[in-house]
Amino acid sequence: MHALCTENSAEDSHSELRLKIAEIVADLGHVLPGQAPILNFVHHNTLHGFQHLPFDQALAEAERITGIFGYLPESDFRRLYACGRISDGDLEAVLNRAEALTPDTIVLEYANRSLRYRDVYRIAMVYGIERISTSHLRWSIEELGVLDRVEADVPPTARRGLLESIKHHQGGGRQQIPGQEVLIRELWRACLEKFGLDEAEFHPEELIDLSMQQAERLLGEFAAANEGVRGDEPVARRSMLEQAQKMLANTLNQVGAKLSLRGLLLELTDEDVLNHVRPLLICHCASFLDEGLAAWHAPNRSSGFYCAWRESMRRDWSLYLSEAPEWRAIVSALPEDARDVLIAELRRLGLPAARWEGYLTRIALELPGWSGMMNWRATHVGYPPNQETPVSLMDYLAVRLILDRIWLERVCKDVWGIQADLASLERYFRTHLSELLVRHALFRGNLPEYLAAKAQRLVELERNERLNPEPWRNLADMIYTWSRGNSVSESAHHTTYGSAWRLFRLAQHLGMTAPDLKALPRVQAERLLRVLDGFTPDRRAYLWLQAYERHYREEVFAALAANHGHGRWSKREERPEAQIIFCMDDREESIRRHLEELNPGIETLGAAGFFGVAMNWRGLDDQAVTPLCPIVVTPSNEVREVPRPDQTKQNRRHGRRNRFRDLLSKLVNHEVRRNLVSSHALIDLLAPGYLLGLIGKVFFPRRQNRLVRAAAAAFVPTVDTELAVNAEDDGTVATPENPRLGFTDAEQADHVTAFFHNTGLTYGFAPLVVLMGHGSVSQNNPHLAAYDCGACSGRHGGPNARAFAAMANRPEIRRLLAKRGIEVPEDTWFVGTEHDTCNEEILWFDTGDVPALLRPTHHKLRQELDRACRLSAHERCRRFASAPSKLTLSEALEHVIGRSTDFSQVRPELGHATNAAAFVGRRSMSQGVFFDRRVFLISYDPTQDPDGSRLEGILLTVGPVGAGINLEYYFSTVNNERFGCGTKVPHNVTGLFGVMEGTSGDLRTGLPRQMIEIHEAMRLLVVVEHKPDVLGAIYERQPPLRELIGNAWIQLATLDPDDGQIMLFEPGRGFVPREARVHEIPTRTGSTEWYAGHSQPLSPALIRPDSTTSPRDLARA
Amino acid sequence: MLDWLVVAVPVLPISAAALVGVGIAGGSIAGEHAERRTRNVMLGAVSAAAVALALVTTYRVIGAIAPQVALGTWIDSGRHRIALSFTLDRLSLSFAALIAVLGLTVLRFSVNYMHREPGFHRFFAVLTLFIGAMLLLVLGGNGVVTFAGWEVAGVCSYLLIAYAYDRPVATSNATRAFVTNRIGDAGFVLGLVLAFMWCGDAEWTTVLGSGAKLDMLQRTTLAVCFLVAAMAKSAQVPLTPWVTRAMEGPTPSSAIFYGAVMIHAGVYLILRLQPIFEHSPAAMVLLVIIGSLTAGYGFFCGLTQTDVKSALTFATIGQVGLMFLTCGLGWWEIATAHLFAHTFLRTYQFLTAPSLMHHVIGKPIRPVPQWLARRHGLYVASLQRCWLEQLAEKWVVRPTSLLAADLSTFDHKVIERTIGLPVPAVSALSSLAAWEERRLAADAGAGPDTREVSGLLGFVAHKLASGLYWFEEKLVLQGAGSDLWRAGRQLGHRMASIEKLLCRPRYLFLLVLLTLLSVS
Repeated sequence: MHALCTENSAEDSHSELRLKIAEIVADLGHVLPGQAPILNFVHHNTLHGFQHLPFDQALAEAERITGIFGYLPESDFRRLYACGRISDGDLEAVLNRAEALTPDTIVLEYANRSLRYRDVYRIAMVYGIERISTSHLRWSIEELGVLDRVEADVPPTARRGLLESIKHHQGGGRQQIPGQEVLIRELWRACLEKFGLDEAEFHPEELIDLSMQQAERLLGEFAAANEGVRGDEPVARRSMLEQAQKMLANTLNQVGAKLSLRGLLLELTDEDVLNHVRPLLICHCASFLDEGLAAWHAPNRSSGFYCAWRESMRRDWSLYLSEAPEWRAIVSALPEDARDVLIAELRRLGLPAARWEGYLTRIALELPGWSGMMNWRATHVGYPPNQETPVSLMDYLAVRLILDRIWLERVCKDVWGIQADLASLERYFRTHLSELLVRHALFRGNLPEYLAAKAQRLVELERNERLNPEPWRNLADMIYTWSRGNSVSESAHHTTYGSAWRLFRLAQHLGMTAPDLKALPRVQAERLLRVLDGFTPDRRAYLWLQAYERHYREEVFAALAANHGHGRWSKREERPEAQIIFCMDDREESIRRHLEELNPGIETLGAAGFFGVAMNWRGLDDQAVTPLCPIVVTPSNEVREVPRPDQTKQNRRHGRRNRFRDLLSKLVNHEVRRNLVSSHALIDLLAPGYLLGLIGKVFFPRRQNRLVRAAAAAFVPTVDTELAVNAEDDGTVATPENPRLGFTDAEQADHVTAFFHNTGLTYGFAPLVVLMGHGSVSQNNPHLAAYDCGACSGRHGGPNARAFAAMANRPEIRRLLAKRGIEVPEDTWFVGTEHDTCNEEILWFDTGDVPALLRPTHHKLRQELDRACRLSAHERCRRFASAPSKLTLSEALEHVIGRSTDFSQVRPELGHATNAAAFVGRRSMSQGVFFDRRVFLISYDPTQDPDGSRLEGILLTVGPVGAGINLEYYFSTVNNERFGCGTKVPHNVTGLFGVMEGTSGDLRTGLPRQMIEIHEAMRLLVVVEHKPDVLGAIYERQPPLRELIGNAWIQLATLDPDDGQIMLFEPGRGFVPREARVHEIPTRTGSTEWYAGHSQPLSPALIRPDSTTSPRDLARA
Repeated sequence: MLDWLVVAVPVLPISAAALVGVGIAGGSIAGEHAERRTRNVMLGAVSAAAVALALVTTYRVIGAIAPQVALGTWIDSGRHRIALSFTLDRLSLSFAALIAVLGLTVLRFSVNYMHREPGFHRFFAVLTLFIGAMLLLVLGGNGVVTFAGWEVAGVCSYLLIAYAYDRPVATSNATRAFVTNRIGDAGFVLGLVLAFMWCGDAEWTTVLGSGAKLDMLQRTTLAVCFLVAAMAKSAQVPLTPWVTRAMEGPTPSSAIFYGAVMIHAGVYLILRLQPIFEHSPAAMVLLVIIGSLTAGYGFFCGLTQTDVKSALTFATIGQVGLMFLTCGLGWWEIATAHLFAHTFLRTYQFLTAPSLMHHVIGKPIRPVPQWLARRHGLYVASLQRCWLEQLAEKWVVRPTSLLAADLSTFDHKVIERTIGLPVPAVSALSSLAAWEERRLAADAGAGPDTREVSGLLGFVAHKLASGLYWFEEKLVLQGAGSDLWRAGRQLGHRMASIEKLLCRPRYLFLLVLLTLLSVS
């Protein structure tokens, strides 16, 4: 009975552990990259798992866990400051706001001046007052002569103050006026004296052989510090051993918090077991997750990763060949359930349960790309390949832990002859403390060369301390002596290179002289340093970021304020010639502006590029459907492209030829590499074509592309098609699980009405209303989806535009619309189009259906759009390094087309790299202002929505989408190596779902360097045209918006539709009026005039075609 | 005069590379603004080389240049003379044309692809050097000139695999590739030596002409030597693993090295030595065996490769294996034609590798037949690439590195101590603990010995002195204590470790070798 009880409780606690493990693993998703397989690339906040925290805290937390700093390096900010992108005014303003840092408290008073925190902060930010290393200090003194003259970066006022004191100092002119060096050296001495430091300093090499006095002095200092320690061994050695003891406890405690066991062994032996584990792990992972690149997968792939791997492992000779000890026992004893593996392994390591989470996080983050992909697949159950291969992060971690263990055992046995767990390591090192100190110093510390060489040799020759402890102890003594000697000039935590140096630099920048310093009490000086200590790098960087954002924000506000009441289409008092509804994408800002400049009679609008029609799309040649809508929506309706009734014969031919083309594509893309003998023949057959293709693609990309397209069109005849959008109303409700083919009339009317209401296009319809979806083409680019329409899940938005037009043109729908209060004039016609943001091509759909009466309008519009495309290409070219600085419009178009057809081009277009702001409101707020392709433009009419109920819906979609794009660019820019995926050049496509470096690297997530080169890393500024109180109410109602805005992941401002007043939302304070700064906005007659000759980002400018440019502006330009 | 035009073909790219290399080293070529200059120099040099090659070919066709051009003596030593000569037959000229065209294509491709890369100039310099080296290799009129090109091409491959030299994986893979290729070099060099011994000359014409004069054993030995070289360069089984590790460099370099030009250099060598092989049935059989093994290996392992570059690499290995096979069967023309066709296709595929997935959406690859798909063991074998890599690791790499470590220990512990190298500064190190102990000892009259001595004589004198001291101190004054026991234990440990070392196979092997040598 008793036995049964314990068994039961053991069982209970085991199932509890299982639950706990499952919980931990489920939580890991927060710290892992959340990127989808690369074909479905959708921009998202890189730190999505931290979004519940305020921005700065989230970045600090992420840095704590992953070690990645989330701001631009301070040097970059200083560069921006130097070139005027951040001004003193901006710094001043953000310091004013930083109440937590108490900028106005007085630190100290000297020479009738009072010094405030903000002064110290400013100097620390602009010039950098930092601790340096001893060697750096020595080098600065000897090579840069920092003690001979005032430092170069000291501003003129402080410099003058310093130099003038020379005259006062000497009093009277009898003696010769001393040079700067006397003054500066005196200042330096004053700094040293302030902390009771000695000027003399050991050179690291002096410790190679201690002189009698040095040794005596050190020993004296040392004995004083260790008073009361008694024992047989020399004090120095015992103190060394004590330090090693502390180090041991510290190091072991870090396992699970900051280190995995692999990390620990890396620190102690410099041997990275991951180098052995990675290839084995990754080849199994890649083969398991593969979506169709390889012909052969594990036979039991459907039973999950862990099972498949276990089965493979039993047949794998790798472990036998790599002489891993006990691998056979480990592999044969593997439990059925991955959870049990995790529990058993963590227990075996001897980790307390409290540190399990930390340990698993560490393990997962050592290969974040693969862990993240496993996690994504595990959490997106509906992803089609998951049907065949169910994925779980638990399985992956189990495999990782087992492989780790096998190699950890090998290293531990090789080096020390012990087992790979914490208890054994502790037992071993408790009796071999000197070895610990030597190893730690060698592989982690920055030993000087003479010690490192000796330590390296010892580690190589002796392996461990067991046999011959003496050399280890001696070396440990030496290292200890060095580390003490290196900090001899420490007095009560003050050091020459830390305290004195910082005070010295600060004094110069404040214009403080040696007498000033001498008069300063030591506590005051210490207080000054404490201010600097508290002003940590992330605090500084966050202030910098805010100042940077403020600078741009004020420019935008000034432009919006100046433009208030000037932009067209606040009310459609006259009927527009045409209306074009673009995607809200920032890349469409330029073409809209150019089009309006060409013909002021055209109104342009912006909306999420799926135009409110969420659908599963099946094109004429598609085998399966593709959802075209934002990633958070699952469509309930399917739309198919079908041949028009008179096209059946043509369609049959098209189908036949197309199947043949598919077959050919399969041959050249798969078969020719999959097969052996048949490929031999195929290769010989195809080679001449390949040679010509290759030469054409490399040397004449544009012509080759044109030729291939023409040949393809000639071979596969085009079919005139239409969309099957209509469905009978059968009384059921379409759901994602039970989708409908087509939309019923009621559904169509609902979608169209909602769209019109959201965009404010409920009256004043033009004769021609064009919906313009967009997409991008490039030849050789794994990240293609990242350039496409985000509102269509990284696909093209043309089909949505086409479907919308097809619905809105139906008389039945018009009647339904009229019943709902939207009168679309009978002569209005909707047309769907698609704009290619890479080569500026516009595809027009179903133009044959345009009524004859509208043909001339249509023709005129096409010509104008054609010209707008050229102008847009021209504007884009200013940012391309490869484009000549002066180009005609046609040359510009040729240039962008050339890029899109060049398969060696890694920057076919620049994507969203310029995004910085989003406007929600009528076009009138931004019409007539040059915004440099930096703004998402979303049409919304506040006058039709006084209570903001529609705005709420818009913000709920626009907020996350805009923030996702903006924040992904932000993080990929601030640290491209860790948050982004580095340069594209060595990328290797894996399993059709990701890229990695080389053939067994980690999967790279985020954006490649080529996409972010010109990005300015700042948070999205959302300006909404409405009353602040309406927005305040929405903010209160909507938790997702509270998270984004309240936690400062985006900035929010309102533009009053009536008086044009601008209010900025500040978390914790609510809406505050914008600081009314006098800000002159340049005025130009056309966009081209403003951007011509500039390749850098440009500030907003008013475009007034009729006004004459003022001479002053011209002079400034 | 026309003869010098031949020299221009390889020398133009090589000197352009040298020019830019000097610029990089001197700091005058760096950064984005210098990209235009670098690329113009490189494209200009390779284009000029291509033009020169076209002229040479034309002159050769009309007979204005002899098929074998000798420009003088390169090395003259005793009985041996090595000429600076070039062979201008159909094989070498067509191969050179292939290299020039593809080299130019890949260079042009890299202009945009490598834009703004920190290693832009380095990449171009190495790639151009490689093109020059390959031209030298194929046009070389004798084994030594060809070998020079052969080696430089190998170095270039090393430099580009390690293009991202801040990534440890890339550098270690580069080293692996480089070292594997040295096996082939050994074969090549031995082949050259034998050619000198038996044919009296390394001129290809002489070597090939003397095929009939040599006896069967000589012919076979010569062929096998060059076959080893070809196997290493063309990554034939069992020397394949280096090429699968070579995919760390930028895409264009992967394309030209492993998809196109360099991996076929081994096949070129076989084609070049066709008469020698033809006269040695054994070598032909060997070619067939190696070729079919490699072809099978490439195909079998290619089935499970999930990343584009590896998949293409294994497909390439398979086809190159087929070329060896067809050579072995005596179908030389087929092998040559296939080589050219394969080169074009593979270059194209490697260069377009980043977009493969966009071409195959919705068109999954044909799976393996059911009977094969079910064999889990075979799947693992394919996935682990038949463990070739691990086998090499166990049987070659580990023993070698252990031997090296032992030798270094031996050097340090025996040789250096015996000879008495100048004492490095590190020996004079001191620590506080030692100082303290000495001070304590000074009070007590004795201290630990911190002096270090060097050289046998010094060592003996020192040991003698301290031994006497120790004897007096411990045995006479204090009686035998724990120290004696400890010394004994240490001696025991030392003996045991020596015995253990001697039992390892590599030392047994060494001992056997030594015995054999001393007997003979």
